[in-house]
Amino acid sequence: MTSIQGILIAGIAIAAIFASTVFRAKLLYRLLALLLFLTAAVLVIFPDLTNVIAHALGVGRGADLLLYVSLVAGVDIALLLYLRIRDLEQKIAEVVRTVAIRDASRIP
Amino acid sequence: MEPSEVFVVIPAFNEGAVLRSTVAGVASFGYTVVVVDDGSANPAESHLGGLNAYCLRHVANLGQGAALRTGGEFALTRGAAVVVHFDADGQHSPELIERLIDPIVRGRSEVTLGSRFLDENDRLLVPRPKRVLLRIGAVVSWMFTGVRLSDTHNGFRAFSRRAAGKIQPRETGFAHATEILGLIRRAKLSYLEVPVTIRYTDYSRAKGQKMSNSFNIVIDLMLRKLFK
Repeated sequence: MTSIQGILIAGIAIAAIFASTVFRAKLLYRLLALLLFLTAAVLVIFPDLTNVIAHALGVGRGADLLLYVSLVAGVDIALLLYLRIRDLEQKIAEVVRTVAIRDASRIP
Repeated sequence: MEPSEVFVVIPAFNEGAVLRSTVAGVASFGYTVVVVDDGSANPAESHLGGLNAYCLRHVANLGQGAALRTGGEFALTRGAAVVVHFDADGQHSPELIERLIDPIVRGRSEVTLGSRFLDENDRLLVPRPKRVLLRIGAVVSWMFTGVRLSDTHNGFRAFSRRAAGKIQPRETGFAHATEILGLIRRAKLSYLEVPVTIRYTDYSRAKGQKMSNSFNIVIDLMLRKLFK
């Protein structure tokens, strides 16, 4: 095993542990995260596999395929987070509004 | 209808003494004034001592759209027959409220929207660059909502009680102006434009939306279209 493989495996392991504590109550998320990390670990240990998959999909190199996939995933994640933040903003607005109406004062 | 059944919602964010004269002007006609302080650094209430008005305060700044909604919901809980949106910065004239709400009082329309472009004299009061921008704004709003108006970013509006219950903008920032049009159309409310004069003062120019903000408004609207 080369040293970069060691570093990547360690990183994946930490992320996997972190994800499984964050998604404690969500079995589906947990399983998906587990699948993702297992796939990542397998690809790190057998890097030639990415080349095989890339060729099958018509991409020149495995590293290029990874770049494309992670770009798309990154944009998707940004959009998901944007939606979450919008939801939160709505909830904050509701709280602030409720307090404002409850504490309305009549200036004499 | 009693003037006190007309609730005039005035959103305020870091307004100074102008807020006081605006509120005093509206209250002098007997309307019920609802000031919504949108998280100002100095509470708006400190400017309003001795005036006849309700004051609501957002503990955090949410944006003008959110403030209008808070004021509207509050007005409905207090039995408002008509809800009017009115700017704090003195650019709207309190004496025009009567003209604006007249079609609602007479049952001719459920929503009325002030327009600077129905009367030639009013139109010429609008600074030229702003006129061009507002024209573009009207077209953009038309594209997004299907409601075609001469003036879409005019903050002077009035709603019947029934209409006010249906128009609750979710857009917290300035995109609410276009969003309200979309809500009018979805709720199939009747609407009318009423000519109004806008007084541009140095204060209102400084306080008003920066023209460059139009870009943000369009982006907000597009994101909303994409994510329901």
